[in-house]
Amino acid sequence: MIYLDYSATTPVAYDVLESYIRATKDFMGNPNSIHGLGVKSKALMHSAIKQISDLFSVLESEITFTSGATMSNNLALIGTALANMKYGNHILVSKLEHPSIYQICKYLENIGFEIGYIENTQDGLIDFEDLKHQMREDTILVSVCAVNSEMGIRQPLKMIRQIIKKENPHTFLHSDMTQALGKVAINLHDVDLASATAHKIYGPKGIGLFYKNSRVPFTPLLYGSGTVNMYNPGTPPVPLIVAFSKAIRLATNDLDKRENFIRRLNDKIISELSKYDGVQINHTKICIPHILNISLDNIKAETFLHALEEYEIYVSTNTACSSGEISTTVMAVYDDKKRASSTLRISLSYLTTTDEVNKFLSCFRLVYEKLSLLKKEE
Amino acid sequence: MQKLIMIKYAELNTKKDNIGMFLKALKQNITEKLGDKATILFDKGRMFIKASDEHFDEVLLKVQKVFGIHEIMIGYETSSTDIEVIEEALLLVTRDLSFTSFKVETKRSDKNYPLTSLEISKHLGGVILKSRDCIVVDVHHPEVTINVEVRKDHAYIYVDKIKGLGGYPVGTLGKGLLMLSGGIDSPVAGFLAMKRGVKLEAIYFESPPHTSVEAKNKVATLASILSEYGSSIKVHVIHFTEIQEEIYKKVPHEYLITIMRRMMYRIAAKVAYQNRCKILVNGESIGQVASQTLSSMAVINEVVKIPVIRPVACLDKLEIIELAKKIGTYETSILPYEDCCTIFVPLHPVINPELEKCIEYEKLLPYEELIKNAILHETILTNSPKKEFEELL
Repeated sequence: MIYLDYSATTPVAYDVLESYIRATKDFMGNPNSIHGLGVKSKALMHSAIKQISDLFSVLESEITFTSGATMSNNLALIGTALANMKYGNHILVSKLEHPSIYQICKYLENIGFEIGYIENTQDGLIDFEDLKHQMREDTILVSVCAVNSEMGIRQPLKMIRQIIKKENPHTFLHSDMTQALGKVAINLHDVDLASATAHKIYGPKGIGLFYKNSRVPFTPLLYGSGTVNMYNPGTPPVPLIVAFSKAIRLATNDLDKRENFIRRLNDKIISELSKYDGVQINHTKICIPHILNISLDNIKAETFLHALEEYEIYVSTNTACSSGEISTTVMAVYDDKKRASSTLRISLSYLTTTDEVNKFLSCFRLVYEKLSLLKKEE
Repeated sequence: MQKLIMIKYAELNTKKDNIGMFLKALKQNITEKLGDKATILFDKGRMFIKASDEHFDEVLLKVQKVFGIHEIMIGYETSSTDIEVIEEALLLVTRDLSFTSFKVETKRSDKNYPLTSLEISKHLGGVILKSRDCIVVDVHHPEVTINVEVRKDHAYIYVDKIKGLGGYPVGTLGKGLLMLSGGIDSPVAGFLAMKRGVKLEAIYFESPPHTSVEAKNKVATLASILSEYGSSIKVHVIHFTEIQEEIYKKVPHEYLITIMRRMMYRIAAKVAYQNRCKILVNGESIGQVASQTLSSMAVINEVVKIPVIRPVACLDKLEIIELAKKIGTYETSILPYEDCCTIFVPLHPVINPELEKCIEYEKLLPYEELIKNAILHETILTNSPKKEFEELL
């Protein structure tokens, strides 16, 4: 099997799974219980949370564990919007967000908020002038993903936040960092709110992270008991938290070294695939190398994906969460409906080998030749 | 021009011959906190801490938790003391500040410098005036004071000042044993003792099953919060159940607390002696509870010779709470776990205990044996996370 869909999800790292199993077996107590077993679980959980808060230099209380990035996005956008209603009802989002953000915005629109969409430059960079122009006195929240999920476009969050705060110091910045965590360096101090998830960084599925700076006024959406995990109350999933903490520590190691390695693989794929007449590379200078997006001229991306599958090669069309539609990101960047209608995403990891890339490239050729032949016969 | 942190020493200028010892200790304490994230230089007037941009904020935060510092200035060091170099640096430093009135205040420790302090101030004030519109010099009530210090090889410019914690560097006055209960008062008492340069160890009395592991963990957390203001605090945990139950069984209940406190003092004094602690420190506040009336204090204190320092003795509860909030122990202190002072509380404890009665009641207890045993079986609480956790994480 050649797995080239690491941006959809990743295999759980051996050490992370090991921690998950041990925490499950040896720490069965409910951290909310006051007896020894509970206290032991609670202490472990606090160490796990502390490790995360130390890695990002934030307060422990600023971290909430969720079921995943979608839930984090929900809390971030809806909770902040509701709490800041008295200051305004205007929210800005980029055109490069994960579908979940747009779904949440649709809901917010239904309950009376006004959503604006920020333009981007040809490179996919947020258009600073447009952002400034669209910022208003009643703008309460801006959401811009750190790294876009379809093309890997990386945004300069610190600069975006400076622009926002200069226009309106009361506007908060949320960033969906799901595709950035574990791939590139992130700084939570560049934003006011952030979302991330464990399963994209070789951690288990079912746990995500929601960061909210303590200064941001917030309306909880869920109510219950428990002293940690304020915005997602109930019995905290200690083994998942432990595994997530470990995954974050491991995934944020050696970022530069891994990125350089992946960049070499990415360069190789780009240089090979650009030789095809019917392939367009959707990659700009601010894209990270872990994600490579291409458009197929006359072949349906879905067909291509299934044909590669016969060789046990796994890639994705658009993102795993939005199959079937046209790529909003490619559309936002290139403004070309045809180009956006048949896209493939190849996502790489430090686990990817040169050998796998070579095999992928030769299979790509076979599939491409076979399918373009069919196209001609039609 | 390099950004740096400058430190003005607290009360140390009252020390003459041994100021060197104090400064060395201060440097040592700061180094312990910052590790290799900063380089530290000092002379008798100032300490200079340099850190990379990446660590600067962290270093600044940590320095604010060190005793022995009067003021922390965020400043800039010029490459030389040439007046042109100072001018240039000054314009850079003030470029992003917005103000309508200002003054330049100069100190000159290099007395051979060609200009006097006043001349430097006047000259540099002129430079700033020329550089921007709509500002005036106001020597009495300036919006911004720009400080310039000309020293031998460099000049230093600073605008922002943060008040330091004051006091003496922790450790310079020797070691004390803090009676740490888990309540609001004792951590504050510990903090104040540390402020006067006392290095702390702590003693905690546990009475399982009447007290829980949570209560003990709470004390560990309090000790680790206090440690942020000095070096790590070793906590001696005394198993107090037998003594407490024995007292409960044999002593008239109005004297429970008095006798219990006398036992605690006896144990604390012995532990202090064994660990070379010269004083006991506790969170007693005059009149707060029955065991803290003057008569109670006298009768309880009677069992030990070691000096007992009560830093919060004369503070109101609200003042203590305010301090606890400031130092960060309050939230932990109010967690609702029973400690051994809150279990076995009689309905009407004696307010004016009599020494003779105490002595008489204590005859009913084999307390010397019990105390010896308790000390023999003391355990040490450590703040470092357990190794098992490290493997999992």
